[in-house]
Amino acid sequence: MTHVVTEACIACKYTDCVDVCPVDCFREGPNFLTIDPDECIDCAVCIPECPVSAIYPEEDVPRDQQHMIALNAELARLPGWKSITKRKSPLPDADDHKDMSGKLPLLKR
Amino acid sequence: MAATPPPIETEALIIGAGPAGLFLAFQLGLQEVACHLVDVLPEPGGQCAALYPDKPIYDLPGLPVCSGRELTERLLQQLRPFNPPLHLGQLVSGLQRQPDGRWLVRSSGGPNSSQAWLAPTVFIAAGVGAFVPRKEALPELEPFEHSPPVQVCYHDLPPEAALATAKHIVVHGGDAAAVELALALVQEGTQEWAQKTGQNRITLLHRSERLQIEPALQAALDRALAAQTLQLVLGQPVGIVSGPGGGQAGPALQALQLATPGGGQTTLPCDLLLPRLGLSPKLGPLADWGLALQRKLLPVDSATMASAEPGLYAVGDINHYPGKRKLIVCAFHEATLAAFAAAAQLRPGQRQLLQYTTTSPRLQQLLGVGGGG
Repeated sequence: MTHVVTEACIACKYTDCVDVCPVDCFREGPNFLTIDPDECIDCAVCIPECPVSAIYPEEDVPRDQQHMIALNAELARLPGWKSITKRKSPLPDADDHKDMSGKLPLLKR
Repeated sequence: MAATPPPIETEALIIGAGPAGLFLAFQLGLQEVACHLVDVLPEPGGQCAALYPDKPIYDLPGLPVCSGRELTERLLQQLRPFNPPLHLGQLVSGLQRQPDGRWLVRSSGGPNSSQAWLAPTVFIAAGVGAFVPRKEALPELEPFEHSPPVQVCYHDLPPEAALATAKHIVVHGGDAAAVELALALVQEGTQEWAQKTGQNRITLLHRSERLQIEPALQAALDRALAAQTLQLVLGQPVGIVSGPGGGQAGPALQALQLATPGGGQTTLPCDLLLPRLGLSPKLGPLADWGLALQRKLLPVDSATMASAEPGLYAVGDINHYPGKRKLIVCAFHEATLAAFAAAAQLRPGQRQLLQYTTTSPRLQQLLGVGGGG
């Protein structure tokens, strides 16, 4: 099992989650954070940290976000997606995107 | 730096004083195994006390609802007959097998207090790791943590000491710990300063107006803000301003550059930064103890909670076995089995009886109840 970052993170990337991760399992892309399923220990500490409630345990991922389970694993393996362990500023227009849904087309790799 | 005192010799050492560790200490007490507990936090209770003291827990057997704080208090009350020494504020930094088969465990509690134990049985009840203060996101601030005079301080600093060294003190954070610290600094006599200079010496810095505090504390904060003995600044540090005059002739921290919620930037004078950003767990040193962790968890035998290393056990969120569920109730079960296994290891050849606290005169004597009559 693992935890999964869903579409809500896309184009926001608040990064509050990475500070609390005890095993540093977040990977950073241009406008999304993903969880490396091989590193996550299911401690769930990151869930309440996310200001847009993007993170779910694998078995609780909403039906319309199921594709994100495989996508998290795929993105975590991309060579350009490096480990992120310290919070940084969100994307400049994060607040404009935080209430949007259907953000998958905005994902940059 | 003070020398490490000679190791404390004990039958059992528990690393982590959360629910798993506290209940394990109780079960070891029933097995008449002497133990010590060590935890990095200043208070016992682990996650329950540090992360969600007021949030209700609904899945404890026989306790329809119980807060994290109340659970901790009840566990401590239950443990009182055995009164095991509790070493708080100590981060366990190393675990080493000795030639005689015992484990040498070292901890550090800052520059002037370190501790060591020698024990034939060690129990890791460390949950998701050690809770350490959450760091500022700016790496530029790191040098100011170390060389004296320290200008970025994550640990307790007496208000007098802070006020003696700094003109512009910034407390960064939005929870009760941050607000209480800012108010404590105000009470140490900064009103006069504000009146004399027209400047605020104490700043509470947080990214938004929404603070995570109780109404009573909010009221106290509002009074201080109205009296202008304290200022609240909204923003996120994005850079620093430094100048000459710091520790070892290095630069001194003079101000923080902030990104404000409106999208602008501003500069906040700061010669002492007290980040109070809450706690974050780090597996940290635990991952470096040389244990065969799998996905950062310690595999154990589900009958005994013993790891592959003789004398080393793990209970609670840190362990793994087929069917593992990270629940407090499961940790209690694991603690019970681990205590039986440890007693068997420590007293080989001695027959292990299953005794009930309801009827056993010996257990009741240990608990200081009943009296067997």
